[in-house]
Order: sequence, then C-alpha cells, then structure tokens
Amino acid sequence: MKRLFNNRPVIAALVLPGIAIMVFAMIIPIGFSVYYSLTDWSGIGPFKWVGLDNYTEILTSDSTFWRSLSNVGVLILVTVFVQNPVAFALAALLSRIKPRWSRFFRTIYFIPAVLSVVVIAALWVNIMNPTFGILNKSLSLFSSAPVTTSWLGKPATALGSEIWIIVWQGFGWALLFFYSGLMTLPVELEEAAKIDGAGWWMTYTRVILPYLFPIISAVIVIDVISSLKQMEIIFLTTGGGPGDLTQFTAVYLYQKAFVAGQYGYGNGLSILFVVVAVGLTLVVQRIFRTEGEVK
Amino acid sequence: MKKILVALCAAAVLTVGASAQAKVSLKVGDNLPDRTSGMGLVFDTINCEFKAANPGVDMTIESYPDQPWQEKVKIYVAAKQLPDINKYWSFPGMFKPLIDANLVQPLDKPAFDKLGYLPGALESNVYNGKLYGLPLTADCWVIYYNKKLFRDAGVEVPKTVEDMMASVAKFKAKGIIPAVTDGKDAWPLVETFDNLAERINGNFGRVDAALKRTAKFTDPDFVQAATLLQKMATSGLFADDLLVSDYGASRNLFGQGKAAMYFMGTWEVGLATDANFSQEFRDNVDAFKFPVLKGGKGKIDDLVAWYGGNIFVNATGKNKDLGVKYLDFLAKRWPALAWEKQAGYPAQKVVARATDTPLAKTLLAIGADAKSTSGTPSLDRSNAEFKDAIQKAVGELVASIITPEEFCKKVDAAAAKAAK
Repeated sequence: MKRLFNNRPVIAALVLPGIAIMVFAMIIPIGFSVYYSLTDWSGIGPFKWVGLDNYTEILTSDSTFWRSLSNVGVLILVTVFVQNPVAFALAALLSRIKPRWSRFFRTIYFIPAVLSVVVIAALWVNIMNPTFGILNKSLSLFSSAPVTTSWLGKPATALGSEIWIIVWQGFGWALLFFYSGLMTLPVELEEAAKIDGAGWWMTYTRVILPYLFPIISAVIVIDVISSLKQMEIIFLTTGGGPGDLTQFTAVYLYQKAFVAGQYGYGNGLSILFVVVAVGLTLVVQRIFRTEGEVK
Repeated sequence: MKKILVALCAAAVLTVGASAQAKVSLKVGDNLPDRTSGMGLVFDTINCEFKAANPGVDMTIESYPDQPWQEKVKIYVAAKQLPDINKYWSFPGMFKPLIDANLVQPLDKPAFDKLGYLPGALESNVYNGKLYGLPLTADCWVIYYNKKLFRDAGVEVPKTVEDMMASVAKFKAKGIIPAVTDGKDAWPLVETFDNLAERINGNFGRVDAALKRTAKFTDPDFVQAATLLQKMATSGLFADDLLVSDYGASRNLFGQGKAAMYFMGTWEVGLATDANFSQEFRDNVDAFKFPVLKGGKGKIDDLVAWYGGNIFVNATGKNKDLGVKYLDFLAKRWPALAWEKQAGYPAQKVVARATDTPLAKTLLAIGADAKSTSGTPSLDRSNAEFKDAIQKAVGELVASIITPEEFCKKVDAAAAKAAK
C-alpha cells in the first residue's frame, strides 16, 4: 500500500481529477475573464481590443467601483466589530442558562440563517415599507406624527438598512460558532482562573477569548469573505440604489456586464474584484496566523 | 413466447422512437410570467391553438419579468442557447446588436403588410431595409387612475401638472398614496422625464437632437423637466418607497386601491379585467392623458408613444422555419384575441366593441386623439450604456442625491460618450 502511494503515476492519477476541476472551473474562466476584460465587448456581436483601458477607467474615474468597495469595507467593519461582539456576548449568556431555554433561543436566533435569501429580502422590504411596513407603524406609536421613512429608499438610511438585513441574516452563524466554542471550554480552565482570583471580566478577556482565538479568527475570515461576496440581498432589495449608495462590487460587476451591456468592462471589474478579495483574505489570514503563533 | 416478447419490445422501441422523432420542441422565451391573465393568457391560448394546428409540435415556454429576461437574453446569446422564438423589444439599443450579430431571422415584410398593422408599426422593426421582428403592442404613456379614490379625496382629473401636484395634500389627508410607478427599475421615471420635457418645449425631437449632439441635455428645457420630476418625488406625489417599489409591487398597490394614480403604458389595459383585483377596482379604473404644463409649449394630444414589445425568430436555431410559421400564425390571431381579452393595445387594427371596458375605450380614444407622437423613448434610442447611465442618474435625481443640473450633466456626458 505504501509503495502504491509512493508511485508517481498513481499520485498523478489521484490528483488529476482535482486539478482538472480546478483548471476547468477556475483557471480557464478567470483566463477568459482576463481576455474579455481587455476588450470592449458588449456581450453580443463583434468587439475590439482596448488593452488596459477598462482597468484605467475603473481605477481612475469610476466612482461607483470605489463606492462599492467602500460599502464592502463598511460591512466588514460592522460584522467584525458590532455583530461579532454582540453574538459572542449572547452566546456566553446562552451557555450559562438552562439547556432547555438555551436550545429555544438558539433556534430562534438561527432561523434567519436557514431562510431563503429571497424570503429575507421580501420580508424586510415589507417590514421597511414606508406606508404599510410594521417598522414605521411601530415607530408611529411613539411619535406624535406618523413615521413614513423610506428606510431602503432614503439616502441617509439605505446603506444602514441593508447592513442591518445582512447582519440579521448572518447573526445566527456567528452565534452558533461562538456557542459551540464556549461549550468545548474545559471547566478546569474557568475554575483555575477563579482560584487565581479572576473576576468574570478578567476570565473572559484573559482566559476564554484567547482560548477561543482559532474560532474567532475563523469567524472573521468568513465575515470578510461573505461581505465581499454579498450580492443577493442588495440585488433583491435596492439593486444598489438610490444612485449607487448601496452598491456592492459583486452586484455592480453583474449590472455592468449584463444590464449595461459592458461585458468587457464588467470582466475588468471582476478581475480587480478577485485581486482585492484574494488580497484581503490573505492579509486577514496572515494577521491571525501571526497572532496565533505569538499566542 | 420469447419471440412474441422480443417482437413486442421491438415494436415498443420503434413506436417510442418514432413519436420522439415526430415531436419538434419549439423553445419560447418571454417576459410574461403571469399566465393567468393579460398577455400571458393570450400567448398561452395562441400556443395551444398553434400546437393543435401542428400536431407534431411541442412548445417549451420560459418566462421572466422584464429586467431579468433582458439579462437572460444576453446570457443565452453568450452561451449560444437563445430560444427559437423570443418576445423582446424593438428598440435600436436592444434589438440592433442582436441583428448585427446575425441572430435574428429576417421576415417577409409584404406578407405581414396585409395583416392590418398600424402606420409605422412594422417599420419600427425594419433595420437595413429588412423586417426582423413583429411588433405586438402600440405603447402610449398614460396615467391610470382610480375614480373612486379621486371621488373620496374630492379630486378632479388633473388638466395640468400643477393640478396634479396640488392634489397630493388631498389624497394624503385621506391616507391615499397619490401615485405609484415602477421606480426600482427607473425606466418609468425616464418616460416621465421625456413627457415633462415635451410638455415644456413642445417638441419630441429635442431628445433625439440631444442624443445626436445637435442639442444638449444641459439645455434649459431639460433642466426644467428634471427639476419638475424631482419636485414630483420630493412633494410626495409618488409613494415614499418609489425607488424600492418594482413593477409588481407598484401595480399591486394601485390594483388593491391603495394608490390613486399609476404612471404606466397602455399595455396595462388588462387592469380593468384582472381577476386578481376587486370588482370595485375594476369598475373604477380609468386613464387620462399626461397633463400639460401651465405656460408650456406641449399640447395635451402630444403623446409619448412607441412600438416597443416585439417577437422574433432565432436565426441560428434549428427550428427557424417553424418559428417563422409560428409568427405568421401569431400575427393573424394576436390582435383579435388580445383585444377580446383586453390584454393589450395591439399594434394592429382592432374593432372597438360595445363590450370593451371603459378603460379600453379611453385608451383607444387617447391613441386616436394623438396629434404627434414621440417614437422610441430617450433611454432606448441609444446604447445599453446610455440606458444604464440615464436610469441610474434618474434614481439619484428623485432621491435628491444630485441636483437637476447635475442630472442633466450626467445624462449629457453619457449621450456624448454614446455618440462617439
């Protein structure tokens, strides 16, 4: 058996299907995308070679591209620094209450994560409807005049409302990760901290959080990747509007390629997007690897 | 016994093979997801009749709302999977790229000339001297209204844009949304912009001139039109969720009696017969002409009208001859059936009937009264990039992210780029 696995042709035969899938599903499409990004193809009919013109335009004069990237950045910051601490605190609370209640609340918090994205988008568009939505109706109870805010249509609230929907949907996952981590925490670790005179704050910040560091780093990497990939909720609610205030890169490149008939330009956006996404993921992984090694 | 079984199996295989061979599957793609009423129902009826007249033919239909279908066509073209027959749009920005890519089967124009098409209807589908598609509807931009809600709020049908704006407070006092339209997809806002511009300058040709660069979108008439459109949104004429309300949502708000007016084209003649809405609504729905502007040069009978929706045969499909046969069948059945079901305002002559709904009669009268028409709307007169730019800019305008002057600058820059 050992000889078999040392046999190069056997190794090649075993590895080949995986490599073939990667080549056909990733390398070749990316290669095509690079090729088309150097053309002015509309998606239909003939096209001409434009060199790096698409990239120059995207990087120097496409404010929507930069806006979409900055929105991705805002979403990453909110998920990492707002969603995760809240999810962690709630997970900690759930790990301390009776299992029956813990199960009940975990199910409640996880429901959005199992709902279809289309359902979630329709649900929140209706909740946030300025005239008939339950949100404005509820707020009107505490106001002298009826509240008619168009949460998804008003420039001041559109991005915040989108981020709320996305965080609402993803919250259950973060909670589940943290809760699972907390349940694996050895009891001795907490007891030892108590004996050493640590209070609950000290126990969490100096003992439990460092123990859960691998889980926290995994959650953050997932947050970054899912923020970069964010498309469906935006597409189904505002479509990136009003203007480009809620535009995200994945939606924008799709719209350019298939709505605006700028297939070449859309491919340029997708290539830059791949570069940014891979770069950012590597940076985040690098940060946590270094931190992990230090620990 | 064994021999008999073998013979039976062979016979069965041959029969299945023969029937599979005989059935030709005609693939059809369209933008009519609702098959229970309106145009979707008419198409299904025609398809059934066509299949009955051609026993060896089966039809596979796929339907999407407008925007997803337009995107799907591009994806199908890229993947070389365009259906045999496609319901599409005849606008140069959308149709010509398909013709230039040799994807559209030319049709025999003289044969269709005999089928009662309205003046200019077939010509809207003629490119390079050849007929490439059949127009289905004559599309006019009108304002539908709910007579009961107007009565409840004490509002008369507006004669001027100023009257319409003045009605906002009365509707709101009664808890009625004054007007709705498909703001999420933005194109109805551009149609309204076109209409307002004409009401100011009295000349539909100005849009074309701006696109051909003999005029500019930054000229005062266009700035004034943009200012008015922005005012319509900020004064509360449109629903507060204008920019997130899509076609279905805005249509439902109107049909459910929540909104008093609905800015839309005459293809919505079926509102008066749509069983999804209450009898009270169906009895009260009517339409009026886009109002004039005090001091404006545009007249009430200058009509934003065009031949938009069409149908064409995929020239690269294996069933193109059968597709042409289907179009011929459709052209003969469509006008009578569409009018009978009040599903659309056909691009072919129809005879008004005593049983027509009041809405249908009004729409026929609006069309008959027209003294001048716009032709293709501004957003579809240029390329897809211009269309995307003007739709995005109009969204920013009504959300007050940009000023009317900035809107006009953006549209003008897009027109200049498209004209190069």
